[in-house]
Amino acid sequence: MIPFSLVIVLFPGSCHQQFVAFAHADHTLSHGIDGLLGTRNSPALFNIAWYPSFMWDGGVNHLEVQPLAPIANPVEMDESIANVIVKLQRSLTYQAMYQSAFGTDSVTTQLTMRALAQFMGSMISANSKYDKYREGKGALSSQELNGLQLFRTHCESCHAEPLLTDMQFRNNGLDNTFDSDPGRAKITNLPQDSGLFKVPSLRNITLTYPYMHDGRFQNLGQVLDHYMSGIKQSTTLDPLLSTGGISLNPQEKSDIISFLETLTDQKFISDKRFKEVQ
Amino acid sequence: MKKINILLAMLSVAAITFTSCKDDKDDTSNSGPAQPGTVTLDLTNVAGTVNVDETGATSYTNSSGESFTVTKLKYYISNVRLLNADSVVYSLPDGYFFVDESNQASTKLSFPNVPGGAYTSIKFTLGVDSARNVSGAQTGALDPANGMFWTWSSGYIFYKLEGTSPAATGGITYHIGGFRDANNTNAIREVEVDFMGSSLQVDGSREAEIHVLADVLKVFSTPNTISIASINFQMSPGGNALLIADNYAQMFSFDHLHNDH
Repeated sequence: MIPFSLVIVLFPGSCHQQFVAFAHADHTLSHGIDGLLGTRNSPALFNIAWYPSFMWDGGVNHLEVQPLAPIANPVEMDESIANVIVKLQRSLTYQAMYQSAFGTDSVTTQLTMRALAQFMGSMISANSKYDKYREGKGALSSQELNGLQLFRTHCESCHAEPLLTDMQFRNNGLDNTFDSDPGRAKITNLPQDSGLFKVPSLRNITLTYPYMHDGRFQNLGQVLDHYMSGIKQSTTLDPLLSTGGISLNPQEKSDIISFLETLTDQKFISDKRFKEVQ
Repeated sequence: MKKINILLAMLSVAAITFTSCKDDKDDTSNSGPAQPGTVTLDLTNVAGTVNVDETGATSYTNSSGESFTVTKLKYYISNVRLLNADSVVYSLPDGYFFVDESNQASTKLSFPNVPGGAYTSIKFTLGVDSARNVSGAQTGALDPANGMFWTWSSGYIFYKLEGTSPAATGGITYHIGGFRDANNTNAIREVEVDFMGSSLQVDGSREAEIHVLADVLKVFSTPNTISIASINFQMSPGGNALLIADNYAQMFSFDHLHNDH
């Protein structure tokens, strides 16, 4: 097992902070070195071993090559993987760790990416109040239960249980022009994918603000307001939203938020195995 | 004693044979079946009639009359196969080769233990098959540290040409790749180079070198005319990348065989 310190070298906790479920608090758009702001919000990191693709546009097709993207992005780490590997190769500590994990002290890109993939795959969040309720080991309040019922009616078709995402790409009506960020179409070149982004998991959602691929909403109330009255029509708008928004009264809105709060996994965000090495 | 004399005579004949230099030697005078041997594919990057100078110091002119220099030239070759006169295919193992003009050793691809016999053409793929584009972190020639992997949209850059040109501020940046038929981004191209009537004799320690030229001028001209003024920057799959891919499929041509005893 490669210790987390390897991850820290490549994958700094300053972008994916444990106390917010490995998302990035404090900034709408995640920033990298030199204070440059990116165009997209850092996604939270958990349960990604189940994902068929990564990033908001699904551009990364395998967990082992996921870490290459932020390393090479000039607004993120602006580092080349070749330099990173050279740095690791110079370290006797890492040589010893590679020897114990892989039976060789030769530090390669492939082994490094595999170590990171193993680590990221081990980041599993499945100990929320909602999980205990599903396992029959805990109860939800009547308001939370009502919220769950409303969630299953209005939200679950995309935020599918139990991962709380169907891992598909959808246009949820944020915009009606997509020139600044075509989303999935940037990867597929298909016009029908314009404005589509990966449906994010809602686990730990109260921690992972701001919301949406560009971080435009600061709180869950604004997110629900969008689905209630902010949907913008376009040719690629998801059919599930094309009949207009979700209809909720103020009590129902508050019930859904109350349910969403049960998705926070305190055990995960305090797990010492994932703690940043000082 | 008589026996030893005969042996010496035979050895001296052999020595004469080994020191003679004959290209495109077709005869297989020694008896017995041809033995397995090493085949070398020697690629020379050229611009028309001259070798490519990757320092950027030499200017070339493309078919649109535009002057340009080359500062980077790299590509992937894979799935190399030899064909005999009956079109029987021998697939050469050890699949992926990163050909980098800045590392001349990488332009000579060596294949040991090729079955003995006569071969009349070579086939290979320019690019990396789709399976390797979706199978996580690779090593060796396919190590992402070679700078031939798109990190924002997983997949290999098959062909990289960079240079300068007065026709475009910012110069030439062609990073060509893409492997998905469904998205119409497939830039993987099959290449066959025929030995023009000669045949490559593989037989034990006999030298067997195939010399192939890769002409950068054709990347601008054949079959699609690519002017630097209209396309100087292509760094994603699809669209113009496919026009350039159709051209790099045509850039290879047979030069000669080295086939000495």
